Amino acid sequence: MSTDPILDCPLDQVPEGPAFIAAAMRWHFSPETGSPYWLDRAKTLGFDPREDVRTFEDLRRFPNVANELREVRVEDLIPRGYGADADVIGVYESGGTTGPPKRVVLLRDWLERLMHRTQQSLQARGYPESGHWLSLGPTGPHLIGELIRRQAARRGGIPFTVDMDPRWVKRCIAEGRADEAERYAEHLIDQSAHILETQNVRVLATTPPLLTRLARRKALVDLINAKVAAISWGGAHMDPDTRYLLRTEVFPNVKLYGSYGSTMILGGLAERVTAPEEDLIVFDTFSPYITFSVVDPETGEVVRYGDRGQVVMHHISKSFLLPNNLERDLATRVAPPPGQMGDSVADVGPLATFENETVIEGVY
Amino acid sequence: MDELIRLDALGAGGPYHSRSRQTITELTGTPVAELSLVPRLFVQRSMAALHEARTLPAHDRVAALTRAGRLFATGVVDGIAAEKYQHIVSRVSGMPITVVRSATSGIGRRAAEAYRTTRYARPEGAVDDWRDPLTRNGQAVWTRRGDVFAVHAAGNHPGVHTLWLEALALGYRVAVRPSRREPFTPHRLITALRESGFGDDQVVLLPTDYTVADDIIRDADLAMVYGGEEVVNKYGNDVRVLPQGPGRSKILLTGHDWETHLGMIVESVSAFGGTACVNATAVFVEGDPAPVAEAVAERLSAIPSLPPEDDGAVLPVQPVADAHAIEKYLLDHVNGATPVLGGDGVVDDLGDGSGVLRPAVFLVDRPDAPQTGIELSFPCVWFAPWSRADGIEPLRNTLVLTAITQDAGLVDRLVEDPSIRNVYLGDTPTYLMPPWVPHDAYLGEFLMRTKGVIRT
Repeated sequence: MSTDPILDCPLDQVPEGPAFIAAAMRWHFSPETGSPYWLDRAKTLGFDPREDVRTFEDLRRFPNVANELREVRVEDLIPRGYGADADVIGVYESGGTTGPPKRVVLLRDWLERLMHRTQQSLQARGYPESGHWLSLGPTGPHLIGELIRRQAARRGGIPFTVDMDPRWVKRCIAEGRADEAERYAEHLIDQSAHILETQNVRVLATTPPLLTRLARRKALVDLINAKVAAISWGGAHMDPDTRYLLRTEVFPNVKLYGSYGSTMILGGLAERVTAPEEDLIVFDTFSPYITFSVVDPETGEVVRYGDRGQVVMHHISKSFLLPNNLERDLATRVAPPPGQMGDSVADVGPLATFENETVIEGVY
Repeated sequence: MDELIRLDALGAGGPYHSRSRQTITELTGTPVAELSLVPRLFVQRSMAALHEARTLPAHDRVAALTRAGRLFATGVVDGIAAEKYQHIVSRVSGMPITVVRSATSGIGRRAAEAYRTTRYARPEGAVDDWRDPLTRNGQAVWTRRGDVFAVHAAGNHPGVHTLWLEALALGYRVAVRPSRREPFTPHRLITALRESGFGDDQVVLLPTDYTVADDIIRDADLAMVYGGEEVVNKYGNDVRVLPQGPGRSKILLTGHDWETHLGMIVESVSAFGGTACVNATAVFVEGDPAPVAEAVAERLSAIPSLPPEDDGAVLPVQPVADAHAIEKYLLDHVNGATPVLGGDGVVDDLGDGSGVLRPAVFLVDRPDAPQTGIELSFPCVWFAPWSRADGIEPLRNTLVLTAITQDAGLVDRLVEDPSIRNVYLGDTPTYLMPPWVPHDAYLGEFLMRTKGVIRT
């Protein structure tokens, strides 16, 4: 069976949703082209995706198999249709917050498609055409570091990196060693400071907590305002008040854009460009490849526009299939731009908690 | 309430209406106000601004505190008159309106006295200024241990906001994290302070999510934290933090003349609706405690159940679900004690979604019964037998101990024990707090130290 051209469509074209889904189902669930993992998994689905999955809504028929990716051999995730010489860029892992990490395989054709999309996003947001990047965030097994490194190189810059191991930070906090996490974070900022002081860094890519921490040092804030043209944040949530303060008070001369993604969808999406007075942080998707739904955590039904719910992520490409992955994030459901399957999401974040727990004893 | 009251954060750059807000409801669940919650970035910038701010000269601080106290207690602040503020606090916290009224005037008075009150803590050998002629021969100068003071406030009684006024009086810049239970008092007080001469970068209100609360302490030079045992455990070893932990105030009754002290005992248990750390939660009786407990219970049971805004209200009111949670906690911890009052439950449902917490009186059979350490936010008291052979051990770990005794040797031991913070003798209620008597030592002892200055 040959590859349906719609799965290999030119990078600057957007395939039509249902036709793309149908082609992807044929690819991933035909014995000649599908991955060993999905071909085996299909036996217990109770439906035939090639017949029964034709629309975006039909994706909800899939179980959430994300947890199975903790144990699967990575070879079994590569669709057979690529043949023996699939161009593997690397294997990447989830953060590991909820147990052993989940693994995905990044193939070159998907990377090219994603990078093309990202370059368009950076262009539309006025990122500098040249100059170096500083990535202060996870590298190692985490996809985000790899993607930032390649984006920088593609725009002709040097990608400087300061590596953060998020699993160590989480472990420190889980073990009640807040002081150790604090010391580690300061160690990261120290390393970043040295790069910012000595190099012509034009783009800073980091996480919201590290950005907030950078803002504690006045000298670094001055340095960033003087040198850096754009800040990309991702990997964690940013609340709208922090974004407002960063834009208006801390880094008034620097473009500030978020991205929202996950290793499990093999990428991230840039924040929608909105008017400066607009307070909502909206993320549109990379339809039909990366798509979202916002659902009621209790019923699993899609919530109304403007309501909050839990984010479900789907990845469908020639290289990989992971539909119906329920993330722990909450978000506001936002109407998508024309032609996008599924939802856009806004104000992604966890629930606010004012008090740690309900304490009854005592008068305070 | 037709329109929600807007409780902005009060940052170093002025009021801040945040996107993330917490709805404050009154006892029946009706929303009353929206409290702006600020993120970590806002906190760290506010704290940095406090560090960079200047301190007003002492006489300006005194004048501003006096003006602010008057405005707070009697004026219109942020469009809200004092009477309306008192009504809101009563309806949100469930505290009897008369208690809120006297707390309001108390805050006004204590603001005016704040600077003078700090004088009690100054060592006799110290002067305030290096220019003092005494320094020519060498002298101690009383100096601040830092510049920025943070408070994790409590919401049990508006009066908790009198103490940190002394820090302002001593020249500290102050950050207050309000309690979600009652943010109205610190908001009104800080607004009044700002209208009376303190700069926006000298006193700030930082309502935050729990996860950010520690940042306020970390970025301050010194901090005071209200809370229970967990707060003491968390900060007990941090020399920069002054925990305001459980009160566990007690009364010791020796001799046979308990009847003349009945009024004092009832008042110590029930003043302020029993919500303060200075309310007695245990009474130790030499001899048989049962007749005393029964007499106290009889008096307490006569207190009517009324909504908190009623002038006759004495008891605290809570949303009925919260009241039942407290009741369940109590009944789960009776653990063999003999109920004298409230053994079948303490909640009196007012029918509007709120419930009165009625007094509870229990008898335990030995002075070291663990129940005597249970402190709840309503009049709830444990009576235990005590004899001289039991010594002072059962009386330890106490904010205020009122002792009815003629035994000077016993009083010596009570006064010498470091875990008993205040000893009141005779018919003195535990809740008495004149400004010249330290509450849990003088705050000035924590905020200040002496520094040697010699001019030759």
